[in-house]
Amino acid sequence: MATATASTPARDTGIGALLRHRAVGKLLLLAVAAAVLVPIVDARWASGAWPDALTVDLTEPLGKTTDWIIDNRDSHWLFTHFLGHVSNAIVLSVRGVYLVLLAAGWAGVTVGAGLVAWRVAGVRLAVLASSAFAVCGLLGMWVPTMQTLALMIVAVLASVVIGLLLGLAGGLNDRIFRILRPVLDTMQVLPAYAYLLPFALVFGMGVPAAIIATVVYAAPPMARLTALGLRGADGGVMEAVTSLGATGRQRLLSARLPLALKELLLGVNQTIMMALSMAVIASVIGAGGLGDRVYQALSTVDVGQALAAGIPIVLLAVVLDRVTGAAGERAGAPADDRSPLRGRRGWSFAAAVTVVAALAARFADRVDWPVDWVVDIAPSVNTAKEWMVDHIYTGVPVVGGTADWAANFTTWVLNPVRDGLQGLPWWSVLLVVAALAWVIGTWQTALTAVAAMAAIGVLGVWNKSLDTLAQVLAGVAVTLVLGFAIGVAASRSKRLERLLRPVLDVFQTMPQFVYLIPVVALFGIGRAPAVAAAVVYALPAVVRITTQGLRQVDAAAMESSRSLGATSWQQLRQVQLPLARPALMLALNQGVVLVLAVVVIGGLVGGGALGYDVVFGIAQGDLATGLVAGVAIVCLGLMLDRVTQPTARRAKKGA
Amino acid sequence: MSAAVVTTEDKSGTTGEGPVFAVSNLWKVFGPKADRIPGDSELTALDPAELRERTGCTAAVRDVSFEVNKGEVFVVMGLSGSGKSTLVRCLTRLIEPTSGSLAIDGEDVLAMDKARLRELRRHRAAMVFQHFGLLPHRSVLDNVAYGLEIQGVGRAERRAKALAVVEKVGLEGLEQRRPGQLSGGQQQRVGLARALAVDPEVLLFDEPFSALDPLIRRDMQEEVVRLHREEGRTMVFITHDLSEALKLGDRIALMRDGRVVQLGTPEEIVGSPADDYVRDFVRDVARADVMSVRSAMRPVGEGEDTPGAALAPDAKVAEAIEAVARSGYPVRVMDGKRCLGVVDHAGLLAVVAGTDPARPASAPGEVVA
Ligand SMILES: Nc1ncnc2c1ncn2[C@@H]1O[C@H](COP(=O)(O)OP(=O)(O)OP(=O)(O)O)[C@@H](O)[C@H]1O
Ligand SMILES: [Mg+2]
Repeated sequence: MATATASTPARDTGIGALLRHRAVGKLLLLAVAAAVLVPIVDARWASGAWPDALTVDLTEPLGKTTDWIIDNRDSHWLFTHFLGHVSNAIVLSVRGVYLVLLAAGWAGVTVGAGLVAWRVAGVRLAVLASSAFAVCGLLGMWVPTMQTLALMIVAVLASVVIGLLLGLAGGLNDRIFRILRPVLDTMQVLPAYAYLLPFALVFGMGVPAAIIATVVYAAPPMARLTALGLRGADGGVMEAVTSLGATGRQRLLSARLPLALKELLLGVNQTIMMALSMAVIASVIGAGGLGDRVYQALSTVDVGQALAAGIPIVLLAVVLDRVTGAAGERAGAPADDRSPLRGRRGWSFAAAVTVVAALAARFADRVDWPVDWVVDIAPSVNTAKEWMVDHIYTGVPVVGGTADWAANFTTWVLNPVRDGLQGLPWWSVLLVVAALAWVIGTWQTALTAVAAMAAIGVLGVWNKSLDTLAQVLAGVAVTLVLGFAIGVAASRSKRLERLLRPVLDVFQTMPQFVYLIPVVALFGIGRAPAVAAAVVYALPAVVRITTQGLRQVDAAAMESSRSLGATSWQQLRQVQLPLARPALMLALNQGVVLVLAVVVIGGLVGGGALGYDVVFGIAQGDLATGLVAGVAIVCLGLMLDRVTQPTARRAKKGA
Repeated sequence: MSAAVVTTEDKSGTTGEGPVFAVSNLWKVFGPKADRIPGDSELTALDPAELRERTGCTAAVRDVSFEVNKGEVFVVMGLSGSGKSTLVRCLTRLIEPTSGSLAIDGEDVLAMDKARLRELRRHRAAMVFQHFGLLPHRSVLDNVAYGLEIQGVGRAERRAKALAVVEKVGLEGLEQRRPGQLSGGQQQRVGLARALAVDPEVLLFDEPFSALDPLIRRDMQEEVVRLHREEGRTMVFITHDLSEALKLGDRIALMRDGRVVQLGTPEEIVGSPADDYVRDFVRDVARADVMSVRSAMRPVGEGEDTPGAALAPDAKVAEAIEAVARSGYPVRVMDGKRCLGVVDHAGLLAVVAGTDPARPASAPGEVVA
C-alpha cells in the first residue's frame, strides 16, 4: 500500500519560539473565557458527567424512523422505485461475478490471476498471485475467497467509477473542488465501522448494504487523488497542447488524464485496499465471505478457524496491493519489450490461456477445489492455542503471563484513565479539547473539535465515549512510545530499517479486522486485547513516518551539530527531534486516527463501549442504540483528528 | 466558420504582401478590473511599481505596436519580466489581450470565435516553448505527430509526416524514445519538430534555448538559421539574450517594462540606440560583427581611385577591417558595378569605438518610445 509520507520541510527553530508565544496568548484568551463561563455553567448544571438537562434523547425518533423504514421497505416509492433497483442491481452483479468466478473454477482463477499480474506487474508478482490463490484453496477457503473476491470486484469497480467522476468534477472545476476537498479529507479519517449502520438501516442486512458502505468508504481516495492529479497537470504541457489547437475534450483525454496516470493508479490501489478492509468488516452487516468466517470464528473464540480465514485475507491484501502498486510504478515508463505479454496481444493471450485452464479443469472434473487437497489447520492451531492458554497465559515465572499482562493493563491503565476521564467535570473536558486543538491548530479546528465533543454529550453517550476515549488514549500512548522508539532506532541504523521495511509493508496492507485474530489468541477477549490490536495496527504507520521525518532532517544541520562535538543523544534531542516536529505531529495524528479505527472494532472482542453498542445495535436490530453510537464514533474521530491536526492535512495512510 | 479557407494556400500569398502579424496598441494587464487601465491616461502614466501599488494590477504588455513581415525573423528581446512571453502568447490568444488590435494576414484575431481560433492555432501559428511542454507518456514520434493527431489526420499519414520532420531536425533513431530519455537539446528538437510538423505559416519561439547549455544553444541557433534559409518561414523569436537576437533577427523589438523601446534591424539597434537604456544594453556588443560597412563609408574623395579590393555594402565592419589592413589603403564598397563609397581606417575605427553614431547610411531606427 502506498505509505504515508511526511514530506514537510524542516522548520527553523525561530518559528518554534514564536509559536510558543502565540500558544501562550491563545491559552490566556481561553483561560479568560473559561473564568467567565465556567462559574455560570457550573452553577446551572453542576455535575461530573454531562448533565441530563443538556442531552437529547433520540431513542424514540430513531426507533420510529427504524420502524417506518422497516414497515415501508416494500411499499414506499423511495424503496420500490429507487433503492430497490439499486439493491437489485448490486445483488445481481455480485451474483454474476461470483458465478463467473465459480465457473472459471480454481484452475481458471489461479491461472488468470497469475497472467493478469504478469501482464501488469511482471513475473515475480505473477508467481505470488497464483500461489496466494492456491494457498486459499489449500486452507479450504476457496468458496469464501471467491465470495469476497466477487464483493470486491463489484465494490471496487463502482468505487473507481464514482471516484473518477467526482474527481473529474473536482479536478476541472474550482468551486466543486473547494467543496469536495474538506468532505473527502474528513471521510478519510472516519473509522470504517461508523459507516456500517446507516446502510444496514436503509437496505437491511445483506450484500447491498455491505457494497454501498464499502463504496462510500473506498471511493473518496479515488476521487481525491483523481482531482489532485488532474489539477497537478504540468501547466507548460497543457499550454503547449492548447497552442496546437486541441479542443477541451482532446486536452482532457490526450494530455490531462495521461499526465495524472500515476495518481489515478495510486487512487485505484488505495481504493482496492480500503474496499478490502471494508468488505471484511462488512461481514458484521451480512456481507458473507472470508470476513464472515473470521467474524463467526471470533465470536466463538475459535482461533484456528479465524486464522484459516484470516490468512487468505492477508494474502489477498498483499497480492492486490503489490500488483496494483507495481502497475502504478510502471505507468509512464516505456513498455518492457521483452515481456512475452506486451501490448494488446498480451491481454488476449492471457484471456485465452485462462479459458483453456478453466476448460481443462472442467473436463478433468476438477472445477471445485479438490477436497483431498485441503489442509485443515484449525485443529492444530487450536491445540497450539490451548497450549498457550495453559503455559503462557498466566503463571510464567518472573514475567507473568499474557493474560496477566492484559489484566494488569486493564486494572492499572485502562480503568484509572477511564475513571479519571469520567470523573472530570464535563466542561473541563471541553476546555481541554479546546485548548489542545487551538494550541496545535487554528480556531476553526478548535471549534470543530469542541462541537464534536459537545455533540457526544448531547447524544447522551458521554460516559461510553469517554470509555472509548480512554482506550484510544492508552493505545496511542503505547503506540507512540513504541513507534518513536523503533522509529528513532530505525532512523539511526540502516540495517534495522532494511529489516523492518518488509515487515512494515505487510503490516500496512492488512485490513483492520485481521489484527483481532492474533490478539485474541494471545490475550483472550476484553478491552486490553482491543487496545493491543489497535497498537499493532497503528504502529507501522507511526514507525514509518517517524523514520522518514528524522531521516529528512537537513544533513547540514546534523553535520554542523556534530562538528560542534554534540553527542549522539544531544544531536537527537537538540537537532533531529525539533526539526522533525512536523513529521512527529503527523505521526501522532495518524496514530490517533488509526488507533480509534481499531478500538471501535474491538467491540467485537469484548472492547465494550461505543464499538459494542454498534455491534449490539446491528445484532439486536436496535438501530437507535447502534446509530447513536455510530455518530458518537464519528464525533470522536473528528475531535481526535482536529485536536492533533497541526496545519494542512497531508498524505494519509489509505487503510 | 470557413475552415476551408485556412489551408497552405493562404501562406502563398492570397493576401498579397501585407504583414503576417499586425499588432497595434496592444495591452495586457493582469489583475483585478484590468479593463479600466489601458483607457485611463492617469493610470497608464504610472510606472509598474506605482501601478501595482495603486491598483494591484501588473501591465505586462503596454501599448505595443509592430508588424511582422512575411519571411522575416522578428525577434522580441528584453530582460526577464519585460513581458515578452505575455506578448507572444497574446498573438494566438493563449493569453487574452486586454485591449488593442491584432490581425493575422489581415484577419482580426480578437474577433475570432473558438473554432476559428483553433484553426489559427492548428494551421497558421505553432509555438516552441522554453520548457518544451512535451507529453511525457508519448514517444518522440507520437509527440511530433501530436499536432496532426488533434487535427484528425489519419495515423499512417501523420506518422509519415512526423518521420520526415524528425529527420529534418536530426533526431533519426530516437523516434521510439520517451522525452524523459532525451537530453535537453534533443527535447527541444522534438518541440521544434512538433511545431514544424503542422506546417504552420508562422513559428513562434518563446525563449526556446534558454534552458540549454551554451554549446547546445549554438547548435540549435544554427539549426534555426538553417531552417529559415531552407524554408523561409516567418518566425517570431523571443529571447533575453542579445547575441542570440543579433544573430537570428532580421528585425528586433527591444522591450522594457511591457513597452517596446526600440524596433529596428540589429544594425540600427547597435548603431543608433534610441535611449540610454538601449545604449547600455548594447554597450558590450562586438560592434564590428554587427555593423555593416555602410555605416563606416565615406564618399569617394578627389582623385581617389583604389582598384583592387572591394566589399559588398552588407559586409560587416570586421571584414572591412581585415581588407583595409591587408591592402593598407581605403577599400571601395561596390554595389554590383556601382561604387557607393570607400571605407578607411578612421571610419572603421569610429564605428568600432562607437564615437560616430551620426553616419548611418539608412534611416534611423523606428523609435517607438
Ligand atoms: N498570470 C499572470 N498573472 C499576473 N501577473 C503575471 C502573469 N503572467 C505574467 N505576469 C507578470 O507580467 C510580467 C511579464 O511577464 P512575462 O512572463 O511576460 O515576462 P518575460 O519577459 O517573459 O520574462 P522571462 O524572461 O522571465 O520569461 C511580469 O511582471 C509577471 O510578473
Ligand atoms: Mg518568458
